[in-house]
Amino acid sequence: MPVVQFAPFSSLVQPSFWHELTRMKIDVLRLSDETLPIQGSYTVGRSIRDRETGKDIVLGCNLSLGGDAYEKSIQLSPMSVAANGMFKNYNTIEDFKAADKSALFNELSTKMWDAIVNHKDTSVLSKFLLITFADLKKYQYYYWFAFPAFVSKPAWEISENGWKSADEELSANQLTTIHQSLYDDTVPFFLVKTSGDSVQVGMVEKFDEFFGDVSSELRIVGFLDPSASAENPGWPLRNLLAFLRVHFPAQSSSFRVLCWRDSEIPSAGKAWKSRFGVISSGESDTATKPSAVGWERHPTTNKLSARMADLAPMMDPARLADQAV
Amino acid sequence: MHAIQQQYWSLRDYLSPVLKESKFKEHGRINPEEFVAAGDFLAYKFPVWTWEKGDASKARDYLPSDKQYLVTRGVPCLRRATSLAYTDEDEDAERLLSFGDSSATGNEADEWVETHAGRKATLDSAANPGVIDDIPDLDGEGYGGLSNAMGNVSISSTTGATAGETPDLDDIPDMEEEDLEEGDDEATAAPKTGVPSAGGVLDATQIEVAKGNLLQVRTYDVMITYDKYYQTPRIWLIGYDENRTPLTPPQIFQDVSADHALKTVTIEAFPHSASLQAASVHPCKHASVMKKVIERMNAGVVEEQLAQRKTSSGSGTPKESKKKWGFGRKGSKDEKGPVGDEEEVEGMRVDFYLVVFLKFIASIVPTIEVDSTTAF
Repeated sequence: MPVVQFAPFSSLVQPSFWHELTRMKIDVLRLSDETLPIQGSYTVGRSIRDRETGKDIVLGCNLSLGGDAYEKSIQLSPMSVAANGMFKNYNTIEDFKAADKSALFNELSTKMWDAIVNHKDTSVLSKFLLITFADLKKYQYYYWFAFPAFVSKPAWEISENGWKSADEELSANQLTTIHQSLYDDTVPFFLVKTSGDSVQVGMVEKFDEFFGDVSSELRIVGFLDPSASAENPGWPLRNLLAFLRVHFPAQSSSFRVLCWRDSEIPSAGKAWKSRFGVISSGESDTATKPSAVGWERHPTTNKLSARMADLAPMMDPARLADQAV
Repeated sequence: MHAIQQQYWSLRDYLSPVLKESKFKEHGRINPEEFVAAGDFLAYKFPVWTWEKGDASKARDYLPSDKQYLVTRGVPCLRRATSLAYTDEDEDAERLLSFGDSSATGNEADEWVETHAGRKATLDSAANPGVIDDIPDLDGEGYGGLSNAMGNVSISSTTGATAGETPDLDDIPDMEEEDLEEGDDEATAAPKTGVPSAGGVLDATQIEVAKGNLLQVRTYDVMITYDKYYQTPRIWLIGYDENRTPLTPPQIFQDVSADHALKTVTIEAFPHSASLQAASVHPCKHASVMKKVIERMNAGVVEEQLAQRKTSSGSGTPKESKKKWGFGRKGSKDEKGPVGDEEEVEGMRVDFYLVVFLKFIASIVPTIEVDSTTAF
């Protein structure tokens, strides 16, 4: 059976975030380079039908940061959830390059593992790390994201049936109920139990109580899926599976997974975008912290390296004046 | 110069009075309450649009503090508008065609008009390479003024450092750290290369358009603010390329139809942020265009509503008085019969203003899918 391949998060930084960083750096942070909490958000994976070719085109598996990332609560659009992050800004490009990135990454992943094991906390499952260096004079921002995900050994495998459209497994009624539940209260992870044509949606933390004596073929583990790729569930599922394996080892040899990708109930004649698949894996050791991966690769080179946003064309007063008419 | 102009605009905006009475059918302008009503409707009907409060210090007091402007993020833009561009050049000239010997006899009825006569057929085939490139010929004579206005920045990518590619900017070769993670992780989906995945679904980076160019899927954050001076909504764009890097102004202009780039679409300070700059469609003509569109739509809507009323004679109460300027946002529920308020002959309600507005904006930025409202 093929190994499940997860679509990694891609960072999307809105220009307003860099504007806010500039302001913070000058007015608040100054020379401080301590670690700050920030918040990003992700929403369901989107695809668009190309009118010329009639094909569906998948947009990225994005985690975005806006200008309000430094605030305690960010404004979320419908069907999107917040992700907490650690943010560290360096004062010089040398510091940025010389930073002990492995140590930062390990520190974060250890924290996440601790929160999972000891606090049964699902809010850490999509934590991320962002390091930056802001060249304020040139309006250039160097940055590097990491989205730690715990590696499962042995790896999760998808059943022979593969990933299929959710409406092959669940009825339109059931999907509509799930949609309504998520629309009212959008959560990154949820549980679904089916009985007949109806479904109930519950919290992941209450796995045992919620599922109780529900037989395993009526249990579904769901998550808000930022990926829109047909064969690849999004990154958050990895840590959710790690979480479930730690806390519910007895039930975790196989899961029926719902990748939720519908922001709206599809109009008549259109299909649901959510995906469904049955994944399984062998026994694994849950006592020790598994290794984690997740540094973002550079989008053009696909290498592990930092990237840079050049905001000069949109921020530099001299260059803005040049194109004013 | 530009800074002074912007100062002037903000002052003018500050001094101009808030429009109080409802005018949208007379001249296409709306007041803040109608903007909020239309925005509420848009956000309700199409949840991709949400209200934002923006920077508190920049809040406008004539709008509710939590409804300062509308935003939708990640609007896809598959192609460049420049690839759709039609010009007034010779290649688009019309030509009379005659068939047979009719022209000799002076029988003009048999003549046909062929448009775009000079334009070569652009068949997307290997046998016809290179034609695509010829179309966005914006550096032609007709665009001299435009090119001059932009200084060194040109719309088509003739020089390396402009529009299409900014290849070196993002490269930081000496910062590569492949040893951060040991080996490749088998459970990480690799970026797609070439092979289309199953199910007819394509990854955004792998679509090939004619002659082997990769389709570059950009995304836009689109904002709608209320412009107090022009008393219309105003659209703002912030774009990202396929690697999620913010677009530069010349790149954004590639997605604006050639008629509007740098004339009605310019880069300006976004009013609800202290420092953010965004591309904006200048609203000076919005009111008159909206008036025309609304008039046309209104006629259709009234007709439809009258027809509906005739068929459902149950609600026989004369509602002709309602026909005047019924903006009531479903406000007249108590008066209507059992048939539902769609029956009221009131013409287009102001709630639809932004839906219509987006259709109009879609003509200025034809490849940005701002108009998710196709159901209407």
